[in-house]
Amino acid sequence: MQEIKRRYVIPGDKIIEGNYKPLMNVMKSGDYLISTRIGIAEAGKDGVKVIPLSGVYIPRVNDLVIGKVIDRSSLSWDIDINSCFFAHLPAQDVFGRDFSPARDDMGRQLNIGDLIIARIVSFDRTRDPMLTVQDKDLGKIPYGEFIKISPTRVPRLIGKRGSMIQTIEQATQTRVIIGQNGIVVVTGRDIEGLSLAVKAIKMVEEESHTTNLTQRVKSLLNVHDPSELEQSENALSSTAEVSNDALSSTAEVSNDALSSTAEVSNDAVSSSSSSSSSPTPPVTSNSSSQINLDTQEQSYSTAESQPQQQQQQQNFASVDSSNIKDDVEQSENDDASSNLADAYQKEKKQEANNEVV
Amino acid sequence: MSSSKRSTIIVEQLRKQQMLEALLRGKRLDGRNFDSYRDLEIEIGIIDKASGSARVKLGNTEVIAGIKVETGEPFEGLENKGALIMSAEVLPTASSHVEPGPPDEEAIELSRVVDRGVRESKMLDLDKLSLIPGKIVYTIFVDCSIINSDGNLLDATSFAVVAALLTCKLPIFVVQDDKVVNTGDFMPPPITTIPISVTAVKIGDSVLLDPTMEEEACMDARLTITTQSDGDFVALQKGYAGPFAISQILQSAEIARNKGEEIRSRMKGLNKTG
Amino acid sequence: MNELTLIDEHGKRSDGRGIDDLRPIKITVGVIKNADGSAFIEFGKNKIIVAVYGPREVHPKHMALPDRCVLRCRYHMSPFSTDTRKNPAPSRREVEISKVIRESLEPSLILSDYPRAVIDVFVEVLQADGGSRCAGIIAASVALADAGINMRDLVSACAAGRLGDNIVLDINDLEDKEGDADMPVAYLPNIEQITLLQLDGKLSTSQFNECLNKAIQGCKLVYEIQKEALMKKYFGNELELKEEVV
Repeated sequence: MQEIKRRYVIPGDKIIEGNYKPLMNVMKSGDYLISTRIGIAEAGKDGVKVIPLSGVYIPRVNDLVIGKVIDRSSLSWDIDINSCFFAHLPAQDVFGRDFSPARDDMGRQLNIGDLIIARIVSFDRTRDPMLTVQDKDLGKIPYGEFIKISPTRVPRLIGKRGSMIQTIEQATQTRVIIGQNGIVVVTGRDIEGLSLAVKAIKMVEEESHTTNLTQRVKSLLNVHDPSELEQSENALSSTAEVSNDALSSTAEVSNDALSSTAEVSNDAVSSSSSSSSSPTPPVTSNSSSQINLDTQEQSYSTAESQPQQQQQQQNFASVDSSNIKDDVEQSENDDASSNLADAYQKEKKQEANNEVV
Repeated sequence: MSSSKRSTIIVEQLRKQQMLEALLRGKRLDGRNFDSYRDLEIEIGIIDKASGSARVKLGNTEVIAGIKVETGEPFEGLENKGALIMSAEVLPTASSHVEPGPPDEEAIELSRVVDRGVRESKMLDLDKLSLIPGKIVYTIFVDCSIINSDGNLLDATSFAVVAALLTCKLPIFVVQDDKVVNTGDFMPPPITTIPISVTAVKIGDSVLLDPTMEEEACMDARLTITTQSDGDFVALQKGYAGPFAISQILQSAEIARNKGEEIRSRMKGLNKTG
Repeated sequence: MNELTLIDEHGKRSDGRGIDDLRPIKITVGVIKNADGSAFIEFGKNKIIVAVYGPREVHPKHMALPDRCVLRCRYHMSPFSTDTRKNPAPSRREVEISKVIRESLEPSLILSDYPRAVIDVFVEVLQADGGSRCAGIIAASVALADAGINMRDLVSACAAGRLGDNIVLDINDLEDKEGDADMPVAYLPNIEQITLLQLDGKLSTSQFNECLNKAIQGCKLVYEIQKEALMKKYFGNELELKEEVV
């Protein structure tokens, strides 16, 4: 078990002294590693990072995002993805390589104001993000309740391996689609279930950094399920997550981290268990940098019955010290790999074997 | 020159659909009835260097009005009256769609409509604010800064102006030997009536009061009706490119008068709490 | 007016403060709903609200820089903010202060993280009473942190000045008008570097040194208040800690 120091920081705060590797939202200043954001700093043998609590969504390749069509040119649609850049969806992506503006009417596919769920295929320092809707379960979102949350809270909303969002979906009989960029769409038949789901989502956003959040969400939803293996709340996560800002030179995110994200997320997309027949796609999320989450969540299945998934505790610590004991016990059972990206991939292979489709 | 432009705010199709479905059930997206106003908070005297000031929060729309009193020349043709000069600025803090710079046609319309309500109702008895007729009069500056915009800037700004004027303290100037001197004392403003503006928007066939920014982005037309204390109308302004049916206008006028009275009683209570 | 009215024989200033006393400061974070980050500051009688929008798309596109973010800053005074009513159009003073505020904030931001984008900082003075540019910088830095922009440090600011033979901390409006020197300073408190330095008035070499040191001490005091305001908004009452070892 690894020793990890953890505390609240604001920009400029010294986190730790020594020759540690800056992982995310951290920079070297003299002998110290300092935070560049407001958030929760974690310092361990493998490096130092800060899980941010605020900030605009910075696009990353392979993220799933929900965007709004705001304009179009003759060859592509402009999409607002709630970020500092507009994204583009080429008409060829929708119509095929032989797209011809003269023959194919773009307006028949997508109009201004339409919402789509798409994947970012490219983005770098020199150009705007490009999107695709070609994969399974991507495309236009025809209806639903629309919510915007801070992108930094998305991992918390998804929960450990989708646990939080599954809890909400099951209790309210809804389907929730979450984009890494903080846009959420909820669909369901029952109006009350819908509004309860919305309430729960807003509660998670506001209280994401607190402990015992799952308990409070469950009592809001009137869920009491002692058979769930889920542990009590952790506000923090010690994951080797990719920097929120893939371009950040300060985070010095290694290329390994970036490519492992890409690998994992590709798995996530392909193992997406869309066992439902509903038109709206389930969420597949790549975790961006943020609070409380064990790495890139794979997609979780929809409101259908879930296989009991073995909840492997990773190295979480909690601000509330009464939870630490639980975590410690749990994680002693694990293969407490300190490289969480590896640990996650191991799990995924395991789960892929257990997966019920 | 004014030209039509594409709306800067594009509301998601999903939201529009939700909105229209809710309207069919008689509700708005935030759960309000068609003729309900959002929570209205009024705080007075927040700028102590000003003669009067008020901060209004109407839902998330936030406006601050401040009053500065000086002496100066009267307007041409109005030699015996105090001069009232009003302006409103939508600060670039108010939303991501506001560009810093000189006021655009919407900001100017906002200023002028609010001004009209106060001026035409003769809320301030300007006859009482002359010092040396034809030469020196009170100059009352009422300036508004819109800090956060979530729709219905017209009403929020108008409420801020009215609240500030009702609760301001004017320095008492007197004329001594052909010079105007500040006695150092203060007097309440000469108020004759309390104008209240009520704004309605039309979405489909529904007429809604106190629109949010999202409702404004979906509206076909807008109507602002200002009434004074005795129920008379003192200002009207229709905005945006869609039409109103005559019956809708008459109906809105009636609602505006009643709603105006509700809000007016809150304004009357201000001096007691302030 | 001679300096005795500004500071009496007991070292008491016109507003009752001692030579080294800061005016009361109150900072509230996250006050403008639409903004990405915001802060409201009351610094003595100054009341200033700051909104940060960004990083976001640049319009017009040609203003964008290929390798880093553009920082835009507007310092603007509401017409009712000053003793005599101010015309809403930007004055030369506002243009200069907009520039120095931008230049005081820029070194703290890691702009290379957001190429081709822009960060807008809008400093709106609702009531001014001496030291409004410092108050604006204090609130702007907090608003930038609130917006989640990568920063090397917060920027803190404070002015010091001379009243007769006394070097005093934090100049108010009266002291600004009637005193002998006013030196606003902005400072990166952890990196320990100065990002704004201006002087209006006359100082000997030793007075200059004393004034600069005093202003920096003031910046350090202000920093604690900025930090507390941010911690309070984000971490609530759990300001302690959070040094945990697992």
